[in-house]
Amino acid sequence: MDLSRRRFLEAAVLAAATAGATAACGGGAESTGGKDSKNLKLWYWAGGLSDKVVADAKKHFSGTTLKASVIGGDFKTKLLTGMKTAQTAPDITGIKGEDIASFLPNANRFLDLNSLGMDKLAPDYLSWKLKQATTQDGKLIGFPIDIGPCAVYYREDIFDKAGLPTDPVKVSAQLSTWDAYFDAGVQLHRKVPKSFLINNIGAVFSMAIGQGTRRFIDEDNTFIGDQDHIRQAWTTAVKPYTLGIDAKINDNTWNAAVAKGTVATGLGAAWYALDIQNAAPGTKGKWRVASLPSGPSNLGGSFLCLPATCANPELAFDIVKWMLSPENQARGFTDAALFPTSPAAYELPALTGGDAFFGGQKTIEIFGPAAEKIPAAYEAPADAAVSVAYFNELTSIEAKGKDPETAWKDAVSQAKQVAQRQGVK
Amino acid sequence: MSSSPVAGPAPTGPSSGAMTGPSGQPAPDRRRGPGRTGRRFRPVSAGGRNGPQRGARRGIARYWPQYLAVTPYYLIFSVFMLFPMLYTVYLAFQRWDGIGEIQFVGLQQFRFLWDDPVFWLSIRNTLVIWVLSTVPMLFMALVMAVLVNSTRRFTGFYRVALFIPSITSLVAIAIFFAAVFSNDFGLINAVLKALHLSAVPWMSNEWTIKLVIAALMTWQWTGYNAIIYLAGLQAIPSELYEAARMDGAGPVRIFFSITIPLLRPIILFTVVISTVTGLQSFTEPQVMFGSDASTNPNSGGPGRAGLTTLLYFYNQAFDNNDFGYAAAIVWSFFLLILILVIVNWRLVQHKERRP
Repeated sequence: MDLSRRRFLEAAVLAAATAGATAACGGGAESTGGKDSKNLKLWYWAGGLSDKVVADAKKHFSGTTLKASVIGGDFKTKLLTGMKTAQTAPDITGIKGEDIASFLPNANRFLDLNSLGMDKLAPDYLSWKLKQATTQDGKLIGFPIDIGPCAVYYREDIFDKAGLPTDPVKVSAQLSTWDAYFDAGVQLHRKVPKSFLINNIGAVFSMAIGQGTRRFIDEDNTFIGDQDHIRQAWTTAVKPYTLGIDAKINDNTWNAAVAKGTVATGLGAAWYALDIQNAAPGTKGKWRVASLPSGPSNLGGSFLCLPATCANPELAFDIVKWMLSPENQARGFTDAALFPTSPAAYELPALTGGDAFFGGQKTIEIFGPAAEKIPAAYEAPADAAVSVAYFNELTSIEAKGKDPETAWKDAVSQAKQVAQRQGVK
Repeated sequence: MSSSPVAGPAPTGPSSGAMTGPSGQPAPDRRRGPGRTGRRFRPVSAGGRNGPQRGARRGIARYWPQYLAVTPYYLIFSVFMLFPMLYTVYLAFQRWDGIGEIQFVGLQQFRFLWDDPVFWLSIRNTLVIWVLSTVPMLFMALVMAVLVNSTRRFTGFYRVALFIPSITSLVAIAIFFAAVFSNDFGLINAVLKALHLSAVPWMSNEWTIKLVIAALMTWQWTGYNAIIYLAGLQAIPSELYEAARMDGAGPVRIFFSITIPLLRPIILFTVVISTVTGLQSFTEPQVMFGSDASTNPNSGGPGRAGLTTLLYFYNQAFDNNDFGYAAAIVWSFFLLILILVIVNWRLVQHKERRP
């Protein structure tokens, strides 16, 4: 009994030691000393890149082992954790559009793509998108994967019933301003009472903010969220609520609302098409796309970045450049609804074809011109955190019937506090 | 932190130990339960007989296999629990975005916290949800335990059925509840409409949001507490019930005069446990009110009515990457839980000392 127990313990200790040694060896083999490694790790999220393009990249760079991992869950948190040490950090990583600004203060943790040759490629890509990943002293940390040019998605059949124009060109012409858009909404809701113009007013606010060149914080790191441009966007957003053409949907009932025609239009980026198709496959052929009222706006769109610990910067940049060439971006549009960041891709057949879900409409005619005209706005690192207060208060108006004026004051005071916490003046 | 509620019945330990006879039989005074505490303290006294003056060093040498056996747990505990916990103490006095420089800011984070209306809103939400879930949960658990205790058939089935909710995936339940209570397309509103009643906006009104979260927690944990009560009920000797019945007491009188007083230590144990776990509601609102919206993640639903303190902590740490502020939130919240547990604790001791 005693002997067997001792033996058991000895075996256990031995096993533990072996496991530890193996783990240590594993760690040793993975870490690469020089900057010319042929083993590169690529991190992205499901749908962040075209899986087919990634698979082809592995074949195309034959001398290289490209280990691509699709990271699930909260990507940004996992990236922050992964970047703690050189061994765990990826060599190429995706960063989402809404997160890129918050990484700019730590630009020294990433390679400057301009020094790797991006400065020569820059004219081929949308300049306002490159600006989002550029620090104030001119370092570029992200290669743009895609953008989210915004448009009005509308139900042609419901517009027809409401006596509104149905042709995308005519709709774009009639809904040229927010006020005209809301007027159409009033008419639509009167003729088709079960249908509302929009799902929630936060969507309008986010579009209206994106149409301007200034956001919540300016280049001098000063809070400007209480100024006229934000106030105007707020007033625009509250209007459909007061007019009673807001469906006030702030949860996943959106799916059912889209399928049942409770919402007759949707404000969204190019990838919004995929959301509608998933939520309501039965509405195929009934949707159309028109220009956003009062000018183009952008929502989302990601980047590929090279962390400073990258094991082979030149090779990594070549891979990124190849994966995001205009041709491969066009494939990304077909495979994963990634709207290209290179205008050259807009001429390619993958984009110029008609879309059956939109009754054969060539949606590039709406998105293409919009993409090139999106205003370049300065997005401060704390911008996303500060903006949350406004969206929450807009939701409070819809959920609790909170007085819009009180909600505005609360939003500004909360936003100011968050800004202060994030080190904004 | 979780060790304090487990030690719940312990204060009765030393005194009941003295009353426990050498044979390990429970003392005649049964108010303190069926002598479990007595048995628990025996190994300690056995060690004492070998002479406490020999020192702790020899004890470690003597019991090294046992210490070795528990070491893996403590190693994992210190790496994955203790160190992060101590690190958050440090972080609460810093400003840190996760990868940049850590910057010392003193008590500034706590000053922000004091002035932050959203933090106080989250505390209020948490307390309301806790009361709305814990009170009906413990009451129904007790009733169910008494009912199951009095049945003779299918007892195994009932016990399994009671336990199943607590081992069901919380995320799955949360998605299910969100679908059932959905405003426009949910099952409950469909039933209400079929009965020609007006639909309730469950998922957008600030009170019904809390009610739905509380209902979920109640559904999940009632059976678990009932099982604990059931164990307590079965430890109550049947002679007491027979004697009461001989004296002419009815079922209600028996419940209040025998079952409740004898079950008190167990009730208090469940109250402490429910305080600690019920205040930590996080997954329920996180799953119910979506976290994937890029403009507004983890906000706790319309009007932030479902924003519990832990969800706010998560939001600040992992959406805003304001780790210093998040650490300040979570430690202030720890203090609040501690105070509530101490209040419960005092209530326990006070009642227990009464003759």
